[in-house]
This record gives sequence, C-alpha cells and structure tokens, in this order.
Amino acid sequence: MSEVKYLTEFYHLNEFQGLEGYKKNGGYVEAAKALKMKPEEIIDEVKKSGLRGRGGAGFSTGMKWGFLPKNNEPRYLLCNADEGEPGTFKDRLMMERAPHQLIEGMIISAFAINSKKSYIYIRGEYDYPIACVRKAIEEAYAAGYLGKNIFGSGFDHDMDVYVGAGAYICGEETGMISSLEGLKGQPKLKPPFPAVQGYLRKPTIVNNVETLAAVKYIIRDGAQGYKKYGTEKSTGTKLFSVSGNVMKPGNFEVPLGYPLKDLIELAGGMKPGRKLKAVIPGGSSAPVLNAEEAMKATMDYENLASLGTMLGSGAVIVIDDSQCMVDMLGTLTHFYHHESCGQCTPCREGTGWLDKIVHSILEGRGRLQDIDLLIKVADNMKGRTICALSDAAALPVLSFVSKFREEFEFFVREGRSQVKGTNYAQMHH
Amino acid sequence: MPKCTINGQEVEVKEGSTIMQAFYQLDQGIAHYCYHPGLSVAGVCRLCVVDIEGNPRPQIACNTVVTEGMKVSNQSEKIKDGVKWILDFHLINHPLDCPICDQAGECGLQEQYMEYGKYNSEMAEPKVKKHKVVDLGPTVVLDSERCILCSRCVRFTDEVSKTNELGLFNRGDKTEIGTFEGKELNNKYSLNTVDICPVGALTSKDFRFRQRVWYLKNSETVCTGCSTGCNVKVYYNKEGAFRVKPVFNENVNGHWMCDEGRDIYKFVNIEHRQTLAHKMIGGQKSEMPAGQAATEAFQVVKSTPSEKLAVVLTGQYTNEEYEAVLKNFKTKNVFHWKNLENSMNDFDGLLIRGDKNPNTKGLEAAMKAAGIHTNWNDLEKSLSSGAITTVVVAGPENLAVYPDFADKVKLMAQAENVIWMTACHSEQFKAFNQSAFVIPTKSYLEKAGTFTNHAGLNQSFKKATTIVSHALTLSEASFLLTGQSIPIAVAPQAAAFVDVDRRADQVMIENRKKNEFVFKRGSL
Repeated sequence: MSEVKYLTEFYHLNEFQGLEGYKKNGGYVEAAKALKMKPEEIIDEVKKSGLRGRGGAGFSTGMKWGFLPKNNEPRYLLCNADEGEPGTFKDRLMMERAPHQLIEGMIISAFAINSKKSYIYIRGEYDYPIACVRKAIEEAYAAGYLGKNIFGSGFDHDMDVYVGAGAYICGEETGMISSLEGLKGQPKLKPPFPAVQGYLRKPTIVNNVETLAAVKYIIRDGAQGYKKYGTEKSTGTKLFSVSGNVMKPGNFEVPLGYPLKDLIELAGGMKPGRKLKAVIPGGSSAPVLNAEEAMKATMDYENLASLGTMLGSGAVIVIDDSQCMVDMLGTLTHFYHHESCGQCTPCREGTGWLDKIVHSILEGRGRLQDIDLLIKVADNMKGRTICALSDAAALPVLSFVSKFREEFEFFVREGRSQVKGTNYAQMHH
Repeated sequence: MPKCTINGQEVEVKEGSTIMQAFYQLDQGIAHYCYHPGLSVAGVCRLCVVDIEGNPRPQIACNTVVTEGMKVSNQSEKIKDGVKWILDFHLINHPLDCPICDQAGECGLQEQYMEYGKYNSEMAEPKVKKHKVVDLGPTVVLDSERCILCSRCVRFTDEVSKTNELGLFNRGDKTEIGTFEGKELNNKYSLNTVDICPVGALTSKDFRFRQRVWYLKNSETVCTGCSTGCNVKVYYNKEGAFRVKPVFNENVNGHWMCDEGRDIYKFVNIEHRQTLAHKMIGGQKSEMPAGQAATEAFQVVKSTPSEKLAVVLTGQYTNEEYEAVLKNFKTKNVFHWKNLENSMNDFDGLLIRGDKNPNTKGLEAAMKAAGIHTNWNDLEKSLSSGAITTVVVAGPENLAVYPDFADKVKLMAQAENVIWMTACHSEQFKAFNQSAFVIPTKSYLEKAGTFTNHAGLNQSFKKATTIVSHALTLSEASFLLTGQSIPIAVAPQAAAFVDVDRRADQVMIENRKKNEFVFKRGSL
C-alpha cells in the first residue's frame, strides 16, 4: 500500500503556496459553496463525517462544535498550530506548503460556528510557517476572502496570527487561551470548558491545523466521501510524522487504520542491519510499543487504545536496537520537567522527581528500588491534574520501565548501558 | 436546593455549591490547601480529590458543583492513598525546617500531614533550591522554599485588595511567588496574605520570631481600629499581646482585616500603659492605685457645683460604660470629643473607615437617649471663661488616631480641676500643673462590653486578659467618682491571663498542667 494524497494532493507544487496556484487547483471553491449552506448543515456534515481532532485527544470535531451555547454571544475560533509534541512536524508542513488550505478550512468552520474572529496560534520557533501564513492571510484579505461580506454572503470574518513563545503547555487548549489573553501560559480549570467560556470568557472553539484543513474536504466530498478513507470509527486520512531510526523520515499521509509496519516501510524501513526495538506511535506522550506490538498495530484511535497507547498527534518515533531506553527516557523526563507549567502539585513536583530519579540511574547513582519508585511516582501523577501534561509525563515512564525493565536493571547494577556498553558521560561526549 | 450524600451522610446544599462546601457544611474532614472560601477556585493543590459515583476518575471537590443525588466519598483506600501521595509531592522539595519556622504549630502542612500523611517519604534526590528571606515589602517576608504554590496570596492581591503586586514566576518545580518588577507588596491589606498562607512561606515582619505560637492564647474580640468593627482574635500571653488576626464574620469583615487594625494590640501592652494613678496638687505629684485616686477625686467632683462640671467622652469605650457614666453623673454638660472630623465618613470600599473609633455610633446613641445635645465650641468657650471649673475626661485608648491629643490636653488644662481617665500613658499629661488626677482605665482587652459599629450593629465581646491590674473600667470609675462604692476585683499582676473569678491557687495548678513550659522557660 502506498500513500493516499488527499489533503496533501498538491503539496509538491510550489505554486500551491500562493493564492493563484491554490485557486488553480480547486482553492476557495468549497468556501464559496459552504457560505451558501446553513451553518447547521455544515456542523451536521462534519458530525456525520466522523472527523476527530488531529491534535492529540482525538475528540469528535462536530460534537465539540455542538457544545457551543445557542445564543448570539461573540465567539472565537482558534487554530492550534503550537505543535509542541516532540516528534510532530505535520502542521509545519501544512502551513508551509498550503497556508490557504488552512485559511479556507477556517473560513468554513468559522461560518459554521458563527465566529467573527479567529486566531492562528503558531509556536514562536516556526519562523517560516509564520511568514507563509501571514502572507496568505494578506492575500486572502486582498481577494476578499476575509474581512467584510465574504463571497457576498453577508458573513464577516477577521483572521490573525498570534505567535507563541515556544512553551509546550501552550499547545493545551486552555493553556493556549491563557497565552492568547496575555497571561502566563497555564491551563485553566475545567469546567467551564472553552466551548462555554474560553478566550476572553467567550465561547471558543480550538481545533488543530489538520482538523480545520480537513473541513474543506468534508464540504467538497460530503461526509460519505470523506468516510471512504479510514476505518469505521477513525475516518479520513491522517498525516504521520515518521522520525527516528528510519531511512527516510518525513510526513506521510495515509488513511487511518493503516498498519504501522507498512508506515515504517513507507518511511524507507529500518536502517541496514538494524532491528526494530520499539515505536512511540503518537508523539512523546504516548506509551511506547515494543517491536512485537508495533508489528500488529494499525494506526487508528481504537487499535492503538487497545494496545494501551494512543494515536496522539501522529508522530511516529521509530527506535531500533542501537538505542538505550534508559537514555531515551532521560531525554523525555527532562523535557517534561522543563515544560511543566508548575500549577498543579503532582505534576510540578512529580516531573522533577522522575527526572532526578532517571538521571540518578543514568549517572550511576541508581538503586534497584528506584525502578519501582519510578512506577509509583508516575502512577500517582496520572489523572490527578488540571491538564494532561502530568499524564503525558507519567505514561512514557510507565511504559518504558514496564516494557524494558531489564535495561533499567542492568543500568542500575552496572552503571552503564546494556545496549551501548558505555556510561552516561561516555554516551554523550 | 440539591441534596447529595457525603460519605453516606445526606446533606442539602445551596444551588451551585461545590462538594467542598458540602464537606464544610457537614464539618467533615477533607485535605486541601489552595481552596479558600473567600477566594476564587484555583484547583491546583489536588488534595481534595473525591470519588463520585458513576464517574470513573476522581474529581476535585473544590471545583465540582453538587448535583441532585450525587454520591460522594473520600474514604476509599484509593483516594486515601492518592491524598498521601499528593501530600508527599507537596513535601519532597519542602525544606522541613519546622524548628526554625515561624509557622510551626499552626502550619497547614504539619496539621494535614498528621492526619493524611504518608510518613515514609521515598524522596532520595537533592531538593530544589529557591530564594530565602525575600523582602516582599514593608510588612511581609517570603521564604520560597517553604512555599507550596497554592497561589492563595496571588489570588488575594488579584481579587480582594485588587493591587496585583504578586505573581507566579518561572515554570515547573522552579516556580516561585514574587512581586512584579518595580513593585512591592505594599497595600493596606497585605498581612492577610500571611494569614491565608497555609505554610511558613509568608511571614509577618511584625510578628516573626517574637513568639512561638504555642505560647500564645487567643481571645475573640472586636477590632477598635475604626468604626467597621472587624471581628478579630488577639493572641496574648503573660508578656502581653502579640498579634491580631481576623475572624470570619459574613456581615462585617468577611475573612479579612486591614493592616492598620493589626496594630491595635500594641497600645494595650504594659509599656504604653498608665499603670498607676497620678495625683497632682499644686505641682506636687504623687502615685496611688486607681481606686484610691477615684475616691479622692470624688471630693473634687462633690465640691464642684453641677453646672460647673463637664464630662468629655470619646468614641473608644463600650455602650455599657457610656450608660453608667451618663447615669451616674446626671449632668447635661456631656461633650463628644471627635477626632479626625474631616475624614469621619471616608471609606476605602473594602473595610477601612475614616472614623477611627470603634463606638462613635454607640456614644451618639447613648447621648441621644439621655437627651443631651451639646456643642464642642460651648465647652471651649466655657473653659476659657471659667464657666466650667471641673472636667472629667474619658480620654482615648489609642492615642495614635488622635492627632489633636496634645491640643486637647492643653485645652482641658485650663480648667481648675481635671480628672483624666486613660488607658495609655502620655507625656502630654505634664501640661496639668494644678489640681489633676490621671486615672488608669482598662483597655478593650481587659473588659467585656458592646461596640456599635458604623452600620449600627451591636457586637459584644468578652474579656481576654488583665494587663494592668489596678485599672478601672469607665463604669467603675464613674461609680467611685460619684461617691458610690463598688467591689473592685483586682487580679494579681503576675498571672496576667488568669480569669479573676477563680481562686489563684487553682489557676496556678491548671496553668501548670496546661503549659508547664511557660512557667519554666526562664530557668531552662
């Protein structure tokens, strides 16, 4: 099986980046069509299509839109392009290659939820995508696709780019709203949910770049046409960012339900002479799969959930037998320790504790009970905080330690890596 | 009015109440730090987790609204174990310096750890180092290592004082409380942050290192700092009073009080007090107990024709005392000495009022009831013309809020005879060079009574302690000054916090049982 170029059909064309080229390849047809529809029809269509959030949680997009209160209060549409999950780089590609695709998807979505103002929240490090999106918004304004009375439908919409400062936590929707409001990027207590009280305490919908872009295609092909791809419960296609020890890392669009084994093959397969050891299937927060599980996994929400992991943002990190799992976990715990916002106690203290324990092991000070302690600490961080960062920090620890325990035990006993044979200092210099 | 079941006990709560409030209503124990009934919900300490029937994940009680028929429990092993662990998370980077911490003895961490703690911490890694002894402003000192980041103080400056000096800085386990650049924690309510701090992170500069809290007793009373009449607790021991903290009263002060009010313990301590009565006759000064001085002063009152006698009252005494004075003296020459008349009706919108007397309303009501309508200018005229020869003054307790004190003492000194009753000593009394008596009275801590606050609310308070044993209440003084006799209960000065209606030996034994250490401290 090969890639299905659905969203990424014209990504190889340089002209697709600009308005002219985009229009030549079917751009802004659906926006014009959608603005003649009734907003409820669009929401219905999206609901029927079974589109699920592509940012990580995989929540039904249509259902999310349905949570908005039925009144005339001003409401906001926010596009989450913070893409902070280690291993993920699909939104970047979409914003660089087809910024108008995103804008068109957002115009349709904004019309569906009757929002007059939307923001695209892009992480600060993404200089080039920011420039691309900004330029595309300018072009769209000039062409009358944004601003007053779009396509003569009487619908007004303004769009703006907001540049984040690179905090991982601002990819969490309420954290992003705080950041957008000019506050410290910290998630907000739920309830109230953003759909009821979000940005500036007004109803707010936050969707991922890929989700919003897909709305255009649901309008184009209808819910049935969109459901042609994917499985029954995980419909449509998805961009997977394959990285790690593969020959040809990159973004690949495949229908959901695609076997993980084939996806690795798409990415050029393993390097010569190396064997698959583990795969993190959904970004660094997803529990790791060992080689055996990875071979039978298919890339859809249900199958991965049944294997105790998740699809997440679709970042597939492939790990071969030359990698030391203790060292890898050290990198992950360091990341979460650095990125915890510090609000909730279990996460604030727990991420630091986990990081210190793993580094104690790495630096040769480990004790055998530290391995059990890692599990206990991670277990008690899980599901106890405002946002999911605590879970995101705990789940990799639990899966790494339980699935590759002998590597950890070897490291504690010998003070060096079982795989590499060297200690932490030698590994890193 | 939804009904819910908390640990098997049914309770009906107000619409929109949270589970936490239901727990409060039933007086059931639930661990928590960041929740404070006077502030918004932060939901960050994660200690108040409860099981809700039908909900797969434990929820926090402070942010979950009660719905009809909800079944809540926090008794399962899973929840108890979770609370233990979260408490342990609070403590892994806490310095555990209780022996040198000012909060020890009234610390939320200590208290809740005793009840819900894990006891065998497994933390073997080095702790995070943070700033210590951070000077936040004129009143408060911060120790970041002790801080558990409940954010109560930040929310207080945001929501109550609305001054926004405090914020949370940095991320993760390096997060610290601090003031924004160029700002210091300097507002009229700043010390409330110390009260609501569940740990020893924020300490009051005024109180820190002055007493261990277990050497202090407390008594609820009414603040005498202004006419708001906040309900407060005064902490004292035999060495005097040490601090004042607010007590919740929904109708008066809510959970808070102002920094100014926290100073009201200062003027009642022995070093500021008039301990013995002074009698001055023709430049000759002699000292004597208050009762004796009042009895002698009666001769002066008796020899003055009633139209030449004037009584001056300030708004710092209780309703009972005003009643006794007005009844005993039977004169219509009663004058109301008002301080700070221009700012009398000021109000800062939260608690502080311009009328710096606790009982102006009470005095006005008492004078009105006795049919007295006098004008201060008349007194001044009569004094200079000699129409009034004897003045009986019930002077202020808190001299700090009487900027006109020196002027008024000079004004009264024009009279032939001055009988001045006061709790606090002042150098200004030197102005009396003819016939004068200065009689010590009891402060608000040493008597029971009632104050009427700005809104006309009568608030009774009880006696806390005795600081000056020879002092009289204004009622007692008025009886003696009008030639009546009363039994005066005199407490021995040494046992300051002893109730006077018990036998001295019995009290000694009880105190020894209660607090052996207080009595042995000098010899240790």
